[in-house]
This record gives sequence, structure tokens and C-alpha cells, in this order.
Amino acid sequence: MILHRGIAALRVLNARGLRLSPVPLAWRNLLSDRRRLARSSAGIGFAALLMMVELGFRNGYIESMLLVMRRLDGDIMLVSSQKYQFERVAPFSRRQLYEASGVRGVASARPLYLERTASIWRNPQNGRHFAVLTFAFDPDQPVLLIPEVQAMLPELRQQDTILMDRRARSVLGDVAATTDGELSGKHIKVAGTFWLGPNFFNDGNIVMSDRNFFKLLGGSGRDRTDLPDVEVGVVKVQPGFAVAEVQRALRAAMPPNVAVLTKQQLIDQEASLHAKLSPVGPIFTAGALVGFAVGILISYQILFSELSDQLAQYATLKAMGYGNGYLVGVVLRQAAFYAFAGYLPAWALCIGLFRYISDIMVGPMQLTLALTAQTLLLTLAMCMFAALLALRRVITADPAEVF
Amino acid sequence: MSTLLAWRILLHEKGRNALAVAGIFIAILMIFLQLGFYASVPRAGMLVYNQLAFDIMLTSSDYVFQEQSYDFPRQRLDQALSIPDVANVSPMYQGEAQWLNTTDRLRRDVFVMGFRLEDDSVSVPDIRRQRSLLRRNDTVLVDSMTLPMYGPQVRGHVVEIADRAVEIAGTYLLGTGFLGLGAVVTSDLNFVRIFPRRSLDNVNLGLVTLKDGSDPGLAATRLRSLLPPDTRVFTRAELDAYEETFWRKRTSTGLVFGFGVIVSIVVGMVILYQTLATQIIRHLPQYATFKAIGYTDGFLQRVVLSLALITAGIAFVPALATAVMAYDKLRTLARLPIEMTPARVAVVLVIALTMSGATALLAVSKVRRVDPADLF
Repeated sequence: MILHRGIAALRVLNARGLRLSPVPLAWRNLLSDRRRLARSSAGIGFAALLMMVELGFRNGYIESMLLVMRRLDGDIMLVSSQKYQFERVAPFSRRQLYEASGVRGVASARPLYLERTASIWRNPQNGRHFAVLTFAFDPDQPVLLIPEVQAMLPELRQQDTILMDRRARSVLGDVAATTDGELSGKHIKVAGTFWLGPNFFNDGNIVMSDRNFFKLLGGSGRDRTDLPDVEVGVVKVQPGFAVAEVQRALRAAMPPNVAVLTKQQLIDQEASLHAKLSPVGPIFTAGALVGFAVGILISYQILFSELSDQLAQYATLKAMGYGNGYLVGVVLRQAAFYAFAGYLPAWALCIGLFRYISDIMVGPMQLTLALTAQTLLLTLAMCMFAALLALRRVITADPAEVF
Repeated sequence: MSTLLAWRILLHEKGRNALAVAGIFIAILMIFLQLGFYASVPRAGMLVYNQLAFDIMLTSSDYVFQEQSYDFPRQRLDQALSIPDVANVSPMYQGEAQWLNTTDRLRRDVFVMGFRLEDDSVSVPDIRRQRSLLRRNDTVLVDSMTLPMYGPQVRGHVVEIADRAVEIAGTYLLGTGFLGLGAVVTSDLNFVRIFPRRSLDNVNLGLVTLKDGSDPGLAATRLRSLLPPDTRVFTRAELDAYEETFWRKRTSTGLVFGFGVIVSIVVGMVILYQTLATQIIRHLPQYATFKAIGYTDGFLQRVVLSLALITAGIAFVPALATAVMAYDKLRTLARLPIEMTPARVAVVLVIALTMSGATALLAVSKVRRVDPADLF
């Protein structure tokens, strides 16, 4: 029955298509001059590539700030309501975390500790010191979804043992070759490495157990003798409970100094902070906007000269009795074809380009599905917009002028 | 004559040429913006240093950048005084602490800088003027670029920095650059009150001024041989170069905006070429007629060249004006020292003219091939 209806609908569409366009004119226009096709799609492809790269830079910069957050193994995150930036320390009391684990629907509430200014790594090769970001958790309640970290939990339990980020900036020294190191003036063993990466504000990451964190970097309180306060409470929701429902219950149970956010909310909040408030975010955004403006300019030029070349043909069509609506349809379809013809090679090229620049760029350059969809839409929008600008020529074409 | 003709051609088709000017306007604006980012982002490391009086700066040998400067013994400053070239030394203290806005109880990280009030080491006018206010215990001056989320930053307002109540004695305009979202300055004595674990005996930066006529390079060499390896010696020029390289690498600005500058130039050339080429093709009969009358290729070349240069020249003016406005907007948004310098105006003008000149020469080949006989 459904199939039957579908076929009927297709027939109607087909009949309409036939009535509107007995010849696939836009398609034929595109193919009539292969050299021009190559030239024009190269131009539009260039504009698309430009947008991909500029947006890629911007996303890469922001993404580098979210690396750890994305790897937190939980549905809901408890953070201090003072926290405005993930890497800036603003802990809350561990007692409140225990309270959270009693809330209905919460499977577990596990602590993550963070230290940014006191964890000073000594480059084992040249002896210079650099601040690194240290994350710590209880190896019996792991919170980081990093495969190498998960595989090395037994090593983490040993005293004075850490795992080191092997994607850290090279100023930290040859991390992979290091087995004995120095952190904040104390001797430590490097049991292994994991793959994470630096960001704009920090050169590399260290992971250790909560016990070592307490021992090496101290606890909370005036004399730093209490167990350390919690930086993030990583909450897992019991199967059968909705995350939003548990989030509401936690909000009701927690005092106002603890913010209850879903993992995505925490990530979105951080991304928007870096896009808007950090020194370079607005500049990267400006770069992406400029890319779009240039794209419109290029595609307008291409479509305009294309239409100018084919003006006689369009005028002839008009003289034969085709309406403006039909011609607009042809031009828009042609613009869409161009968008795709330019986009596909640009996309393929971009994969290689991103892989190449990722190594020298501050953040990870990824051609994600979202970026693909976003830039494809922008390319389409840009070509359509340019086509509409250029259309005036076709609409005002006077058949009498052609001959 | 050729310029006049070019001018006439421009005026003849106002609408079409306005479009060309608009295209080149965008290309030039892009070059301005990308060059601005390229040059300014790494300059932010010098934002504060540019306002400090020194010929040579002493830092810890671990110095990474201003926020991660580490400390070194103050004796090094006294040792430096033993060199005859050295006129004066002055310590700077800096650290990061939590700022508590007492009205809404929100905590933010703030960068605190302390200097000796009797030294003339800070040249920000607002700070010099209000220096004496810092003689009172527990007072600070707040950078007015500090974000509103730090709460009210008016004179007399009391906040807590590192759990100690301090009074805002005034504000100054400098900028926070890469130091974070908020910054304050205070006296050296107030600094150690805020940071009880720190002592005046360990300084973060040592500002050394030299006697008139002495050579900073030579003095730096002497200091290096005098001071132990825990101290690093930078002349002003060396520090400038160090900071620039550090931030260029860290922010990948070389890659990102260098790419942007090249792309803008290419796009500008393509737009200009397209416009010139269409214009020439449409006026081919006229050019052919000129040739038939006896004008030389050289003359026609000059016409096209003038056409290109005039178009670029006209587009340059609004592009410069818009860029100045955009710099202004970005300066407040990004809180980075993005400024229009005469050198940059000159560089972009040269780029714009070269770009249009080169394009004109490319496009002119069409004119050269024109055969007057084809006309009829």
C-alpha cells in the first residue's frame, strides 16, 4: 500500500518535472563547455575550501579547549557555580558529591581533581620548568574515557606514578622516552603516555591517581592538609532514568554553589566562552566571516559572467514563450550544480590538507560531519545568493536585443 | 592623456565600475584584517612590557611568558648595580589569585602586579597619576579592560583578592592581553600582603635602566657573565623578539593569518582580473579603433594600467576607513593591541597597487592581440 502510494507520488513528480523541463536544461548548460565547467567549479571549490579551512581553524582552536571534557565518562557534571572556565580551578566540597550519589536515579558520582598553577613539570632533557594541567581521579572510579589511561589503572595506583600526554608541546621534552621525571620539585615515575594534546593556554596534560594528587600537589584548606576538594563531579545516570529528570532531581538536592549541567551543556558553555571572551576566539570568527564574504564574491563573479555568456540563449528561450519563473528555476538549479561540482573536490582536498596542518596547528583540525554539512550549506547558500544577484540580467533580457 | 581616458572609461559605466570597486574594496579590507591579526596577536605578549621603563630585563631562567614567569633572588638586582653602565634597578612582582566579588559572591582569577612606588618603572599615565593612592594598605588599581563579570570596578568598592579584603583605589587603561580576563596593579608591599607566601626577596621581573649613552647589548653581555645561571638577561629588543616568536608559535598565527593574507591577495587579483578582462572585451571595438587611428600598444597598455590603478586607489580609501573601524571593534572584543600603523597603511597600499598593476599587465594581452581589421 505504502509502496503503491510512493510510486504514484513519484509519477506525479515525474510528470511535473517533464512538464516544467522537457530538457534538463541546467544540466546541459553545465556540461556544454567542459573547460568552463572546470574553471568555474575550481573557483567555487576554492571559495568552499577557504570557508572549510577558516572554520576549521576556528573549530580547532575551540576544540582544543574541550579535549578533556569530551572524554569525561558521565551524563551529568557537577561543577562549582563559580566555575567560568573549565581549566580555572574552582572546586566544591566533596561532601556535596557524596550527597549527590544519594539522589534517585544516580548510578555513580565520581570526583575529578584538577590543578593548573602548582603542577610544574621539569623538562627532563634541558631542565626547564613548565606549568602543566594535572587531572586526577580514584583509579577504582575512573572518569576519563582515554583508552591508554583505562588500560594503565594498575600502574596509576602505584606511589608517585603519573601518565604523561605524549601530544604535549615539544618544549616539555621527549616525553615518550622519559621514565623518571620531576613534578613540582618531587621525583615521579612516568608509567606511560596517553594521547590528548595541548591547547592555547596549556602545554600538556598529566593524569594521576587521587592519592598521588594529594601527596604531590597537596589538599585543600588553609594548610592544604584536608583531602582535596572536587573539581568536577562526574555523574552517571542509572539505566531507565532520563538524564533531564535526574538533572532536575540533582538541582533540587544540591545547594546553589554547585551547578548541575549535562555533559553537553558544560561543553557548550565552554565553547561559547572561548568563541566570545577569550582573546583569539573573535579573531578566528572574523576570519571565517571573511571567508564567506569572499566566497560570495567569487561565486557571483563566476555566475554573472556565465549568465552574460548565455544571455542570447536565455533571451531566445524567452522569445519562445518560457516565463521568467522557468528561467529563474534553470539558473538556480545551475547554481546548485556548481555548488556541488565545486564542493566535492574541495572537500576531498580538505581531508588531506587538514591532516597535514593538524600537526602544526594548535588545535585538532577535523573535517567533522557537522563542518561538512555546515560548509556544504554555506556553499549552496553562497551560490544561490550569488545567482539571485546575477539573475537580474536574465530577467531583464530583451529577446529583441539579441538579434 | 592615457590617465584621462581611463578616468572617462570609469565614469562612463558608473554602475559596473562601482561593482568592481566594491570587489576590490573587500579584497583590500581582507588584507588589512588578516595583516592586522597576523601582526597584532603576537604583540599582545609585550602589552604590559611596553609600558615598563627598562633597557634590560632580568627574569628567572625558567621564564616562559609573563603569566608563567617564575621568580629569582632579588640579590641579582643588587649584583647588577655593580656594573658601571647600570643606572637603576627595580623589582616587579606578579602572581595570580582569586578575586571575590563581594556583592554576588562570584570568584574569578585575577592577575596581580606589584611594583615599588618610589621607582619610576610604570609609564601608564593613569597609574603614575594614582600611584600615591597605593601607599595605603590593601589598595589596588584595576585595569578598566577587566570584564564586567568581575563585578563593579569603581573607586572605593571593596573586593577580596586571595581572601584578603582590598579596596579599589582607581582604574587604569592598559589591557589584559593574554594574562586572563582581569588584572590589577598594586605596590610591592600590598603585593606581599595579598600573597603571604611570597616575599620581597624573590622577584619575578627585574627592570634595569642604563646610564645615558651605554650600549644595552654590551651591558647585557656583562650581566650574563656576572649573574649565575638562575637568571636570564634580555635586552628590550631581545625580549621583543622572544615574545613575538613565542606567541606566533603558540597561537599558530603565522600559519592561520599568513594563509589569510596570501588568500586575500590571490582573491583580490582574481576579482580585478575578471573586471578588467570583461571591461576590455566589451570595449574591444573602441581599442581596435584606437589602434587603427594609430595609437600604439604602449598607449593602450597605459590606459588599462591607469584603469586598474585608479580602481584600486578608489577602493583603498573606504577599505582603510572600514579597517580602522573593524580594528576598533576587535580591540574591545578581543582585548588585543590591534592598531593601524602608518607602516601597515603603506604596505597594504603598495600591495594593492602592485596587485592591480600585475593584473592589468595580465589582462592587457587581450588588447595587444586586437586586430583593427577584425572590427569591420
